[in-house]
Amino acid sequence: MKVLEMNHVKKRFDGKEVLKDISLTIEEGEVVSIIGPSGSGKSTLLRCATFLEQMDGGTLSYSEHPVVVEDEETKKVIYPPKKELREVLMDFGLVFQNFNLFPHYSVLKNVVDAPICIQKREKEEVYEEARELLAKVGLADKENAYPYELSGGQQQRVAIARALAMNPKMLYFDEPTSALDPEITAGILKIMKQLAEDNMTMAIVTHEIDFARVVSDRVIFMDDGMIVEEGKPEDVIDNPKNERTKAFLKKLSY
Amino acid sequence: MKESNKGKVQRRMLLLAAVLLAGIFVWFGSDGTAVQAENDDSTLIVGFDASFPPYGYQDESGEYVGFDLDLAQEVCKRNGWKLVKQPIDWDSKDMELNSGSIDCIWNGFTMNGREEEYTWSVPYVDNSQVVIVKADSAIHKLSDMAGKIVAVQADSSALAAFTGEDATDENKALCESFQDLQQVGDYNSAFMNLESGMVDAICMDIGVAKYQIESRGDAFRMLEESVSSEQYGIGFKKGNDTLRDTVQNTLFAMSEDKTFETIAKEWGLTDCICLKEYVPALLVEEGDMEDDEKSQTSYVEEGEEIVQGEKVQEDTANNTEGKSASKSDFLSIAKQLGKGMLATLSIFFFTLLFSLPLGLLLTFVRMSKYKVLQWIARIYISIMRGTPLMLQLLVVFFGPYYLLKMNLSYSYRFYAVIIGFSLNYAAYFAEIFRSGIEGVPLGQREAASVLGYSRMQTFTKIIFPQMVKRVMPPVTNEVITLVKDTSLAFALAYTEMFTLAKQIAAAQTSILPLFVAGLFYYIFNFVVAFVMEAVEKKLNYYR
Ligand SMILES: Nc1ncnc2c1ncn2[C@@H]1O[C@H](COP(=O)(O)OP(=O)(O)OP(=O)(O)O)[C@@H](O)[C@H]1O
Ligand SMILES: [Mg+2]
Repeated sequence: MKVLEMNHVKKRFDGKEVLKDISLTIEEGEVVSIIGPSGSGKSTLLRCATFLEQMDGGTLSYSEHPVVVEDEETKKVIYPPKKELREVLMDFGLVFQNFNLFPHYSVLKNVVDAPICIQKREKEEVYEEARELLAKVGLADKENAYPYELSGGQQQRVAIARALAMNPKMLYFDEPTSALDPEITAGILKIMKQLAEDNMTMAIVTHEIDFARVVSDRVIFMDDGMIVEEGKPEDVIDNPKNERTKAFLKKLSY
Repeated sequence: MKESNKGKVQRRMLLLAAVLLAGIFVWFGSDGTAVQAENDDSTLIVGFDASFPPYGYQDESGEYVGFDLDLAQEVCKRNGWKLVKQPIDWDSKDMELNSGSIDCIWNGFTMNGREEEYTWSVPYVDNSQVVIVKADSAIHKLSDMAGKIVAVQADSSALAAFTGEDATDENKALCESFQDLQQVGDYNSAFMNLESGMVDAICMDIGVAKYQIESRGDAFRMLEESVSSEQYGIGFKKGNDTLRDTVQNTLFAMSEDKTFETIAKEWGLTDCICLKEYVPALLVEEGDMEDDEKSQTSYVEEGEEIVQGEKVQEDTANNTEGKSASKSDFLSIAKQLGKGMLATLSIFFFTLLFSLPLGLLLTFVRMSKYKVLQWIARIYISIMRGTPLMLQLLVVFFGPYYLLKMNLSYSYRFYAVIIGFSLNYAAYFAEIFRSGIEGVPLGQREAASVLGYSRMQTFTKIIFPQMVKRVMPPVTNEVITLVKDTSLAFALAYTEMFTLAKQIAAAQTSILPLFVAGLFYYIFNFVVAFVMEAVEKKLNYYR
C-alpha cells in the first residue's frame, strides 16, 4: 500500500519556486532518505507533506485516500476541512531537528498527552505503552525529568518516543541529528535503524550519507526544488549518474 | 502522579479564566442599568469638599461631619429623605452637579461672583476673606503683603477675591503687589507651606481661619483688615428651583424654631449665620433674586466684620470642644485610614480581576487574522497608553452624562473607577501578553500542530502556560504600579486611602496621616512583590 503519494507538488515563497513539480510515493515499510544541498527544498517538502506549509499546486494522498486535490479548471489546491485534516495527521509523526519538546511538561507527559487528549485513548494503556517506548529509547529512568534537564540526544529520543506514541503509519525525520554532537548522533541513528528493522515506514532528510546507505531502501537526491536522481542507495550514493549528484557527494566526502 | 496534578492545576486556571470572562460580561451587562438608574426622590446627595472644616470634614472616627452636613441631615430628616454625603473633588464640582451625581453643593459655598452659575438658596452664612500669617511675621496690614508670597486654595473665594471677574480694583492692585499668588490644593498644604516659610501669608475664609488658628495654637495670627466679605449659600443645578425651594423652606422652618441657631452654636458659627435676615423678606417676595442680591451686598459693613470675628473666636473656643478634630497618634490614624485601605484594596483587586482577562481578550483581537480587528485593538491600546489615566477616569465618569445624557446613579462612582482602571490596565496587559505569546518559539506550535492539537488546545495547553511564565516579570511591574496608581481615584473623588489621608491631614492639621498612608502603600507593595516572587518561583519547575 502507498502510505504517501505526492504528485506534481509546487510550492512558492514570495514568488520564488522552492518546490518545482515534485512527485513522490512511499510504500508501506519503505525507508526513504532525502539528501541534497542546503536550500534545495528538502525541509519544505516534509513541511508540505505534514501540512505545516500549504502547497501551491499538486495533489497529496495518505493511505491511498486523496487529501489535497486540485480543482480541475482553476488548478487551485483544495484542502479538506480542519477536522478531517486532523484525522489525517494521525497517519504520520514528525521528528524535528531541534526536538520541540514541550518544556512545561515532564518527559512522560510529553509522550502521553497527545494520545490521551487528542486520540482519546485509554489512560492506563497509553501510560504503559509510553513507558515501554521510553525504555526502548533508553530513557526509562527519566520519565519524571523536564526537557531542560536532558541532553540534546536524550531530548531527541523523547521526541521520537512522542511521535511513536501516536502509533503513526509512518515517520518523517528532518535532520534529526544535525543539532547533536557526533558521538551522540550514533545513539539516535541506532534507534532509527532499529525502527527500520521493525518495518516502520520512514522518510528521512539527512546529511549522514553512510547512515543513509545502510538504512534506506531508496535514496532521493534533491536540488533546486526538484528530484534530480533517485534509486537504490548503492546506485545513487556509490554510482551517481547525474552531474549535480556527483558534485554534491564529492563535496560531502571532504 | 505529578503530571495529573499539574493537569488539574491547569484545568483550574482555565476554569478561573472562564469565570472571570463570564464575570466581565455580566458586569458590563448590568452596568448599563446601573448608569441609567435615576436618583430616586427620597435621597439627597450633598456634594462637599471633605477637607473644609468646620463646614464639612472627616472626624476621628472616619465620619463625615460638619455644620453644613448637620444642616443637611436635619433638612433630610424633616423631609423624610435619606442623606448621602458625597465628598467631591472641588475642581469637578460643576460636572458632578450637572451630571446629577450630586443634588447640591453644600459646603461653605461662596455665592458672590457665582450668582449666575447656580440656582442658589438664600445666604445662610456670612463670611469674609482674611489673611493669616505666622505669629512673628512682619506683616500687620494688608499693605505689608507687598512683595510677599501669598497662598490661596485653588478655585476658592479668596482666589476669586484677588483675580476673579468681580474682584475689586483695590484687591487687584493688592494682588499685583505680591511677589506671587500661589494656589494650593487644600488648607492643610497651605499651612504646611506657611509653616515652612514657602509662603508668607494665606488668604482664606474667616470661619476656616478661626478654626485653623484655634486648632494649630498660637503659632499663627490673623490680620485685622479683611480682604473681602461674602456669603455662603447652597448651590443647586441651574433651573432646579423645586429642590431649592423645598430645602430652603425647610431651612426657614429650622430658623423659625431655632434649630438652625442651635446647630450653628454647636459648630461655633453663631456670629457668622445670617439666614434670619432672609426669612421674612423671602416670605414676602419669594424668588426675587435681584432684591436678594441687594440685601446680600448691603448686609456686611467693614467695621462690623472685625467685631463679629472676635465674638466668633470666643464662641468657637467654648463650643467646639467635642466636635473639632484633635491631633491623633499613629494608631488612631491607621484606624481611620482603615476604610480607605479597604477602598484601595478593592480598586486593586477588582482592577486585576477584570483587566487581566480583558487584556487577554484584547491580545486575541490584536493578534486576530482580520486586519480591521487588529487595527481596532491597536488604536485602542495606543490611546489607552498614550493618554493620562486620570483623564480616562474623568471621561468614564462624566462621559455618560456629557456624551449620552445619561443620569448617573450614586453607585456609578465606584464602577467608574473600576471601569477606568480596568480599561487602562487591560491595554498594558494586552501588550505584555502579546510579547509573551510571540516569545514562545514557533516550533512549539508546529509540534502541537503535527500531533493534532486544535488551535484552542494549542493555546490553552502549550502556549498559555509558557506565556504566563514569560510575562511574570513585566506583569509584576504593572501590578506594583497599580498599587500606587489606585490613589488616582481621587480624580473621581472616590475616597480611597490617599484621598482619605489628605482629608484627615486637613482635619487634624497634621502631616502624619500622609506618612501613615505612604507606609501602607509600601507594605502593600512589599506583600505584592512577595506574592509575585512566590508565583514566579512556583513556575520555575521548568525552563
Ligand atoms: N518560510 C519561508 N519563507 C520564505 N522562504 C523560505 C521559507 N522557508 C524556506 N524558504 C526558502 O526555500 C528554500 C528551501 O528551503 P528548505 O528549508 O526547504 O531547504 P533545505 O533543503 O531544507 O535546506 P537545509 O539543508 O539547509 O535545511 C530556501 O531558499 C529557503 O530560503
Ligand atoms: Mg532543512
